[in-house]
Amino acid sequence: MEKTPKMSSRNLDFYYGDFHALHSISLELYEKQVTALIGPSGCGKSTFLRCLNRMNDLIPISRVEGEVLLDNEDIYDPGVDVVSLRRKVGMVFQKPNPFPKTIFENVAYGLRVTGNKDGAFISRRVEESLHHAALWDEVKDRLHQSALGLSGGQQQRLCIARALAVEPEVVLMDEPASALDPIATQKIEELIHQLKKNYTIIIVTHNMQQAARVSDVTAFFYMGKLIEVNDTETLFTRPKYRQTEDYITGRFG
Amino acid sequence: MESRFHQELEGLRMIILHMAALTEKALEKSIQAFSDRDTELAGEVMEGDKDINALEVDVDRQCLKLLALEQPMARDLRFIIGCMRIAVDLERIADQAVNVAERVVFLAARPPLPPNPAMAQLGETALDMLRSVIAAFVNESESQAIDVCQMDDTADELNVRILKNFLDYMATETPAVERSVQTIIAARCLERAADQATNIAESVIFIIKGVNIKHHCQRT
Repeated sequence: MEKTPKMSSRNLDFYYGDFHALHSISLELYEKQVTALIGPSGCGKSTFLRCLNRMNDLIPISRVEGEVLLDNEDIYDPGVDVVSLRRKVGMVFQKPNPFPKTIFENVAYGLRVTGNKDGAFISRRVEESLHHAALWDEVKDRLHQSALGLSGGQQQRLCIARALAVEPEVVLMDEPASALDPIATQKIEELIHQLKKNYTIIIVTHNMQQAARVSDVTAFFYMGKLIEVNDTETLFTRPKYRQTEDYITGRFG
Repeated sequence: MESRFHQELEGLRMIILHMAALTEKALEKSIQAFSDRDTELAGEVMEGDKDINALEVDVDRQCLKLLALEQPMARDLRFIIGCMRIAVDLERIADQAVNVAERVVFLAARPPLPPNPAMAQLGETALDMLRSVIAAFVNESESQAIDVCQMDDTADELNVRILKNFLDYMATETPAVERSVQTIIAARCLERAADQATNIAESVIFIIKGVNIKHHCQRT
C-alpha cells in the first residue's frame, strides 16, 4: 500500500514582490520521518519551510501560487484558520526565543492563549512537554524561575517544549542548532531522533553532516528549485544529479 | 579554485598511482625472472616489497585523516573508501610477486622443466589485468574496469590448465615433483594476482558509480 504524505506541496511558486523565490516545488513529507532541506544560502529552503505554516503571510509583498496540503487539505484555502494551522504545524527557530517569563509559563503559553484554564491539565502538559523536549530533569526544580536564565541549548529545548505543548502534528525547525555548541547540538539531534516517533519533522540546516545524521529523507534546493529529493543515505553517498554532488562535496561556485 | 580538501584527495590519488606503478613493476619483474630463471631480478622484487608496504600504510593514514577531519560525502567518500580497498589489493599483488620471486630462487638452482606456454600466458594476462585496472582508475572508466573483470576467467582457465599439465607430468617424471609443485604454486600466485586486479576493478566501479558489484561481477 502506498503511503500518503502528511504534508505535500504541489507546484508551489512563491514571490517576494517581483522576486520569484520558489519555482514549482512539489515535495511530499511523510509522517514519523525527518525531512532535511539543504542548499546554499538563498536557495529557498527556509522560504519553503515558512510556506508550510504560512509564516510568509506576515510579509506583505509576498505571493503564493500552487498548493500546500496538510492531510489532503490546502492550507492556503481561504477558509483555513491560520492560528489553528500554526498549532498543528509548529515551528522552532534558529535563535532560541523564550518569552521573558518563567520556564513554566513559556511552555504553558500556547495552552493559555487557546483559552485553556484547567490548571491541573496545564501542569500535566507542561511536564509532559518538558519530558518530550528532554529538559525536565534539568529544570524541574526551577520551573518558576525566568527562562532567560537557561543556557542557549536549554532555551532551545524550552522552545521545542513550547512548540510541543499545543500538540502539533508537524514540527518545522529552521536551523535549530546553528547557534548552539556541539554538546547542546548533540542533545537537539538526539531529541529530533526521539520526536520523529510521534511527529512529522522538517528541518532546514546549513550543516550537511547534521542533515545526514538526523534525517530520513533529504531534499536539495538550489536557486529556488528542488533539484533532488531522496532517502538521506542515497543522497549523501550517490546523489543522482551533478548539482547535488557538487554542493555536498563542496565543489560549488 | 580547488579546495585544500580536494588537493588532499589529489595527493591520495598520487600515492595510489605511485603504489600501482611499483606493484606493476614488481609483478612484471617476477614474471620475467620466472621465465628467465633470473635470481638477481627475483631479488629486486623481494627487496622492493618494503616500499610498497610503506605506501599502503601511507594510504591508510591519509584516508583515516581525511575521514576524521573532512567528513567527506558522495563521490569523495567513495573515492577514499575505494582507495583504502585498492591499496590493500595492490599490496597483496606485490606479495604475490614476491611469492613468485621466491619460487624463482628455488627453481633456478635446479634443472629447468620443459617449457610451459600456459605459464607465460598467465603471466601476461595477470599483468595485462593490472595495467588495465590502473588505467581504469586513472581514466575513471567503468567500461575498462568491467573489461578487467571479464579477463579474470582467462586467468582461471590458464591456472587450471597449468595444474593439469603438471599433474600429468609428475605422474611420469617423479624426480620433477618438487619443481612441478613450485611451478603450480607460482601459477596460483599469478592467478591470485589476477583476482586482486579484479577486486581493484570492483573498487573503481564503486568509486565511479557508487554500486557494489563484489561477488557478482558483471559479465557479458
